[in-house]
This record gives sequence, structure tokens and C-alpha cells, in this order.
Amino acid sequence: MALKIRNEGVRKFFWGFLSIFLVFVLWYFASQLDHMKNLLPNPINVIKFIGISVIAPIGKTTLFGHLYWSMTRVMTGYILASIVGIILGFFCGWSKLGSALIKPIYSVLRSIPSIAWIPLAILWFGIGENSKYFIIFISTMLIIMTNVIDGVKDVDESYLDVARMLGTKENQLFLHIVLPCAVPQIFNGLQVALGAAWATVIAAEMVRSSKGVGWLILMGQTSMNMTQVFAGIIVIGLVGLTLALIMRWLESKLCAWNIRGK
Amino acid sequence: MSSILKINNINKIFINNNGSDKAVLQNVNFEVEENEFIVVFGPGQCGKTTLLNIIAGLEKQSSGQVFIKDKLVEKAGPDRAVVFQNIQLFPWLTALKNVEYSMKIRGFSKEEYHSEAMKYLELVGLKGFENSYPIKLSGGMKQRVGIARAYCTKPDVMLMDEPFGALDAQTRYLMQDEVLRICNTEKRTIVFITNNIEEALYLADRIVVMSDCPSTVKEVVKIDLTHPRDRTDSEFLRLRKEISAMVNRKR
Repeated sequence: MALKIRNEGVRKFFWGFLSIFLVFVLWYFASQLDHMKNLLPNPINVIKFIGISVIAPIGKTTLFGHLYWSMTRVMTGYILASIVGIILGFFCGWSKLGSALIKPIYSVLRSIPSIAWIPLAILWFGIGENSKYFIIFISTMLIIMTNVIDGVKDVDESYLDVARMLGTKENQLFLHIVLPCAVPQIFNGLQVALGAAWATVIAAEMVRSSKGVGWLILMGQTSMNMTQVFAGIIVIGLVGLTLALIMRWLESKLCAWNIRGK
Repeated sequence: MSSILKINNINKIFINNNGSDKAVLQNVNFEVEENEFIVVFGPGQCGKTTLLNIIAGLEKQSSGQVFIKDKLVEKAGPDRAVVFQNIQLFPWLTALKNVEYSMKIRGFSKEEYHSEAMKYLELVGLKGFENSYPIKLSGGMKQRVGIARAYCTKPDVMLMDEPFGALDAQTRYLMQDEVLRICNTEKRTIVFITNNIEEALYLADRIVVMSDCPSTVKEVVKIDLTHPRDRTDSEFLRLRKEISAMVNRKR
């Protein structure tokens, strides 16, 4: 059994590697074609560019500097959004008063795409960091809230009955049954929201900023530096993938009891 | 001997969506003595689980009362622990924490609930599986946890709702022996529900024979066979025929 899984893992890795390698090779040959030269940079140059930019600054700072700026924005907005989103979500999902008070506003806000907030954020908070925190906050908070509300709604009524049978008082039900029951769904929300936060920060940086990975791509575009544009895109993809992997690993540790955690 | 559980004239009528009503329990009366193993046996899907839920306080009767130690039952509580057919362990807790849950939530000290839970896990034969989550346990093992959990609430009465109905035949026989072994180690008053006559005869001190819809008590049969019982013994088979005939007889 263990052997089979390992074989499967090796096979998966092999095919994954092969598919990336093939795209790379195709890309390389395409970039050698005469009429593609201005549209596709040489992939080897792109990788070199990423390697060099770790040490040599582009604009104000190195690649890690840009990543640091983007991540700081993401984390500030995201952590705030998690705290507020989880509290509001529980209030809205568990209490009738909360639902009556918050549900209507929430339903309206939820249908607004996150980039629609950018102009307003700039008018309210200026072009500095605060507007970026706000955009990330508002877009991820609603995702987290949605998942917390669903998580609370999905708590199996029969668990509450069993808990009462075992001597749980009504005011203990929330902490001992509803909260742990909703954890996988909340975690799902945190996962989706982190992906969304990463996407949003890039968009916000492309609108107005002087540092960050989004800015890196935009600068590449303005200076017609295709290599820089592609390097930026690849870095964004790699970071997004890493964030997703970290969240999945955390989930398998925290929600080991859940099917989704397997 | 005094009766610990008294079922007094229970009626239950369900109102369907279309406004028509359906009686599932009709004037159900019986009493359970302390440390007695009572099996409620009846055919089909009608009424038995509803009766158990009413005793447990998970469902409301249409009329009649349930008394436990002469106290009127109004809601669910740990004096009547249920072992469910679909087990209903908390999936986010390990086997040990599931068993500990009731004593913990009711404010017992950590040493107390931990040592009690360990004792009952060992009693049901799950030593070594304390830290396993329910998802990692087989159906039979999960139901053992369910039984340990019910024991660990220190109930006056244990209510078992077709606890082995979802298990395969082999595991079912094994679990029947296990339940008898566990009950011999630590006496409890048990109300056990089944639609399997063989299971009823194998376990019961007395069998409450119920009719089909609306369910009412046909007869209460005392079973004087010694344990361990032989399912092919002539007296066993005679009782089996007799009780089956009671159920099939039209009123």
C-alpha cells in the first residue's frame, strides 16, 4: 500500500515535471522564431533575470524587496480580514439578531468585485499603503465571512442533540460543538481568501505603487522589457503556489479529523 | 426491586405535510427494573426509535409521560445515555476525547474524567486507540467508542437504538457477546431496541414485544435462559417461534 502511494507520488511528480519541461522547450523554440522575438523573451534569459534580481535591485529594491512589500500588504489586509470576517461570520451565522443586522449589507457588498474598490480606496486613503490594505481587507473579509456563515449553517442538528444528551448546556453548545464543527469550512475560506488577497495585491500595485511584484510587471510593460514582464508573472505564480501549499499543509495538520484533511 | 424507568401511556402522532396524521405509538406502557436488560422488539420501521427518542428526551410525545427514578423526563440529559444506530461520535474529537466529553463538559476534574474514560475504553477493548479519530476506526470500533461514551456519562439507563443494525453479521455476533461481557463487568439498566428476534433472545432479561404501526405493547416476555445462550438450543428456538407468532398475529 505504502509502496503504491509512493509510486503514485513519483509518477505524479514525473508527469508534472515533464509537462513544465515541455512548455519550457516549446517556449524556447518559439522565442527563437524571427517574428516572435519582440513578443516572447528567451526563457533562459527570464530565469537568469529572476536569478540576478535576487541580488541586483530593480527600481528601488531587489526581487525579495518587492516580494516583501507585496507580502506585507497581503498579510496586513488578510490578517485583519480574518479576524473581522470570522467574528462577523459567527455573529451572522449563529445569532438571529446578527443575521438580521448584517445579512442585508453583506449580501450587497458580496457581489462587488474586489478591483471595483480600487478607485474608491485611492480617493479615501490616498495612494499609500492604507488604500492597499483596505482593498485586500474588503475583498478577503467577505470571502471569509461567507465561509464562516456556511460553516455554522452546516452544523448537523443531530450533533447538538447528542451534545445535549451528554450534558452540554445551551450556552456551551457554541464553543464545544458549533466552533469545532465549522473549522474545516472556515479553513476553506481562509485558503480561498489568501489566494484572492494575492491576486488583489497585484492588481492594486499595478494601479498605483512604486514597489511590489505588481509594479515590477507594470514597469516591464512601460519599458517594453518583455523579460521583466515574464519574470514577474512567473514569480507571482510561484508565490501563489507556495501560499496554497502552505495552507494545504496547515489544513492537514489542523483538520486531521476531517475527510478534506486527508 | 424497584422500577427505575416508567413508560406511562405514551402516544405519538405525526402530522404529515398534507395535514393527515399517522399514529406511530399507541398507549405504550412498561416498566424497567434496575440493572435489567430490556429488549424492545418489534417488526418493521414503526415507532421503536421514536419511543427511544421520547425516553431520551430528543423527541416530544403527543401524550403520556416518561419517569426516570420517579422524575418526569422533559429534555435530553446524561442520566439517559443513548447509543445510536448511526453512532454519532464527534468527528473532531479522538476516541478518548469522545468518551471523556460528557464528564468534562459537566465539570468533573481532569484526573477523574481521564481515568474513567481510559477505564471504559479498555473495557470495550479499544486500549491503544485512544488518539485515533473516528474516521480512522471501523464501524464496529466506532460503536465500541459509542458504548464507552454512554457508559462514561454514568447514566441511570442506557438506551441502545439498534446499535448493531449497520454492522455486518459477523461483527454483529461479536458485538452482542461484547455487550453481554461489558454488562457483566459493570451492571447497567439497558433498554435495547432491535427488529432482530435472534438478537433480542440472545441478550434480553425481558422482551417487550411491540406490534406494527401504530406500535403498542403486545406482551412482555421474561427470558429465563442462562448465559451464554445457544442460538440453536431447542428452548431458544421455541421462544423464537412463539414471539414471532405474537408479532405476526393480527389484532
